[in-house]
Amino acid sequence: MRAWLLLLAAVPLAAQDTQTPAPAGQDANASPTVAQTEKLLTGSVDVGYRWFSGAGGSLDTYRSVVDFGSGVRLLGLDLSLESAAKKYFDRINVRGAGWGGDPYNTAHVDAVRHDWYNFTFDYRNIAYFNFMPSFADPTIGNGIFLNQQAFDTHRRMMDFELDLRPGKWLVPYLAYSHDSGHGTGITDFVSGVNSYGVADKPRDATENYRGGVRVELNKFHVTLEQGGTTFKDDQQVFTSTQNFGNNTTPFLGQQLFLSDLNQAYGIRGDSIYSKVLLTANPTPWLDVFGEFLYSRPTTTVNYSQLNGGQFLDLTTLLLYTSELDVANAAAKQPHTTGMAGFEIRPMKRLRVIESVMTDRLHNASSASLNQQVLAPAAAALLTDFAERLVLNYNREQVDVLYDLNSRITLRGGYRYEWGDGLTQGALLSGLPSETGQLKRNVGLAGVSYRASQKLSFSVDFEGAGGDRGYFRTSLQNYEKARIQARYQLRQSLQLGARFTVLNNENPDPTVNYNFLSRDNSVSLAWNPNNGKWVTLTGEYTRATLRSDISYIVPQDFTSAQSSYRDNVHEASTLVDLLIPGFGAKGPKLGVGGSLVRTSGSRPTDYYQPTMRLTTPAYKRMSWYGEWRYYGYAEPFYLYEGFRAHLLTLGVRVGL
Amino acid sequence: MCHEDIFKAFQKNPHAVVEKEKRWRNETHACESCHGAGSKHVESTSAADIRNPAKLPAGEADHNCLSCHLNQPTHVGRIQSGHAKDQVSCVSCHAMHKSAEELVPRRRAVINAKCANCHLSEWASFQKPYKHKLPEGAMSCVDCHNPHGSALPHSIRTVSANEPGCLNCHGDKRGPFVFEHAPVRLEGCTTCHEPHGSANPRMLTRHEVRFVCLECHANTPAMAATSRTLGGVPPAFHDLRAPQFQNCNVCHVKVHGSNVNQELLR
Repeated sequence: MRAWLLLLAAVPLAAQDTQTPAPAGQDANASPTVAQTEKLLTGSVDVGYRWFSGAGGSLDTYRSVVDFGSGVRLLGLDLSLESAAKKYFDRINVRGAGWGGDPYNTAHVDAVRHDWYNFTFDYRNIAYFNFMPSFADPTIGNGIFLNQQAFDTHRRMMDFELDLRPGKWLVPYLAYSHDSGHGTGITDFVSGVNSYGVADKPRDATENYRGGVRVELNKFHVTLEQGGTTFKDDQQVFTSTQNFGNNTTPFLGQQLFLSDLNQAYGIRGDSIYSKVLLTANPTPWLDVFGEFLYSRPTTTVNYSQLNGGQFLDLTTLLLYTSELDVANAAAKQPHTTGMAGFEIRPMKRLRVIESVMTDRLHNASSASLNQQVLAPAAAALLTDFAERLVLNYNREQVDVLYDLNSRITLRGGYRYEWGDGLTQGALLSGLPSETGQLKRNVGLAGVSYRASQKLSFSVDFEGAGGDRGYFRTSLQNYEKARIQARYQLRQSLQLGARFTVLNNENPDPTVNYNFLSRDNSVSLAWNPNNGKWVTLTGEYTRATLRSDISYIVPQDFTSAQSSYRDNVHEASTLVDLLIPGFGAKGPKLGVGGSLVRTSGSRPTDYYQPTMRLTTPAYKRMSWYGEWRYYGYAEPFYLYEGFRAHLLTLGVRVGL
Repeated sequence: MCHEDIFKAFQKNPHAVVEKEKRWRNETHACESCHGAGSKHVESTSAADIRNPAKLPAGEADHNCLSCHLNQPTHVGRIQSGHAKDQVSCVSCHAMHKSAEELVPRRRAVINAKCANCHLSEWASFQKPYKHKLPEGAMSCVDCHNPHGSALPHSIRTVSANEPGCLNCHGDKRGPFVFEHAPVRLEGCTTCHEPHGSANPRMLTRHEVRFVCLECHANTPAMAATSRTLGGVPPAFHDLRAPQFQNCNVCHVKVHGSNVNQELLR
């Protein structure tokens, strides 16, 4: 992959070499060919060395949150090549970042030839390291920090898309996407009353192929797309060391343990899908639009598990030492979505938008599980399952927008959402299935005011009196409001503010849910003289969240209240200034960073101050250095805090 | 020439084809395709005599753009989007006279900065320790949201026709699973996750796993009948005083859906 990317990156350079050089002795500046060459290839390359101080505190948390290491890095590549002849391409853009060992490697290539094609390629390789004992550690009460849900994995994504004849009335297109994950981790194997932390090797991949055609006429557009996916998941969970698990209390005088395990998931899936999009404006006062989306993913499963040790069968309360499980299963999920609507403009100032949507997802699956206790030998237990999950969702919405004058727009509307869901019943309830219903009446209102180009604000409100939701925490009786304002005080000074509030309640006495969140933000951007000497940007957010809900304590079925509080102060700023005394092309200093300080149910402090210095070195080359500090603290989980410094020194070469 | 700087910048803008190609029906006078007839303005040089989309009400400005661009797939449903209802017009995000990159930003950092300009509190969430990697430049807002609108709430992108955009990267959570976890399908990933940023290592909506689960799984059959909500109560041997049971997914490892076990244990 990297070699291929290097090859792609070299394309512009190779193209540059094909330009005719100026004859010897001729003034290069006078040569139109050379002058043109200088304009054709533009961009910059950033290469540097990053030094990581090491993490004070928890290295695992540092890797979970930041994960930058030491070494030489291609920090950024941004090249654009214009073709003078415009024979095979008009322009090629190549971008990349984070190569050489960073946890996020990205690459992008796009090429355009007017009226011929439009090609894009995107690549991302993102590392996910997550090793947080506070997230899943059943032994934490004993002072043992042993994570049983940890992952050190990578996800790689590639997207290719080729549009043919862009800008013409008929545009065929082809696309391919790849998404895969692999790595190692720790997960749990559960047997009877005990669970054991064991090694995990997840590996999955999804391929997505699609092609279609867009018909773009003056008053009518339709997109027809047909696609398909294939999926495979070959996760393996295994151990060969003795493990006494999370429940070390002997059962019937016997110590439960796991001595060896091999779980193999052989999951394959595929899907076909179809997409039809339509827009039209048959008359100047009417737009119509519609979508029809259909997918039918399926999954087949071949699972096997062989485990040895000392285990308990909960149904018979018998102990056994070896077990073989084999499962074969299949699932199918036809999913149909349709939406249609129109916008009508009976008067110049009035718009009415009406839309109807339906979404129907029906999951049907069957499984056959063969559980065979090998020692002591017992008859195989065969179990068949047939499961269903049904979702029928519908929405109807009407919006009316009226331009009171050129500065004020009023908006009102109504949305009705209804549907039903069916899922498997709770194990202890004895019910084969549970059903839920959704009914929600939502009122919509808003006003936008543009006093001038310098001052504008808008108010948006949504309120609902729903009487049925799928879940206890679903939106039920809620009010949501947002106020946003922008003011350009001077040509160089812009202020912004945004206030949002969501209040949701489910007054049912068995639920008693009260949720209130507020987000208040202000921002400032100051760039006197178009940022020639100094620029300043900053924002501050104060967010609060309060949630209270009744729940049942599982061990005694008493009612208790779950309360969650989150009070956040967040601020970030960056000042860029030209160091006085060196002229307009002198060194530049940037100082800023961000801080997050939360209190409440999970207090957290996270600081990221930064400072960078850029110094011109030679014509289009400049040196730069950046220092960044990361400070992370969790008062309830002190062992997860860390502090780290990163220092980057590099060179930027402009072309 | 009065608007020489705009004219020069416009030559690098994809809209420059309007000036050069007959089929757009404004050959040699591309400016008039958006600004309307300009003869009066040429004579008077008064700004009042020319249409300026940046000063028009959003609906009118959008209609101006959509007279050409309505018939493109990205705009299907645009009038359903939050941007449309909040009167955020096309010109709020797209610089019409400048380079292709400024017209439609492609660089992730540029996209994120543009969105953060208005969505202040959302961007603030990305400063929390556990978040999607937007500040690092590995992702951008439009990887998950379609700013022009979508059939899904919050303008969430769709993949494979009608599946939520989250599955574009998290393909292992796509399913269909033999044993589904209903909230994933009925209300989506945000039932349990805070996608913009969280202090929880798995970006959960609550500080501890058990509360995420128990807020829904607190229905006895009798209670479910009155509250009419889904979510059965867990078995009674789950003694929450034991740390073993405080993180539900220590045992329920396949919480997004299982292909082997009804209780999502493997």
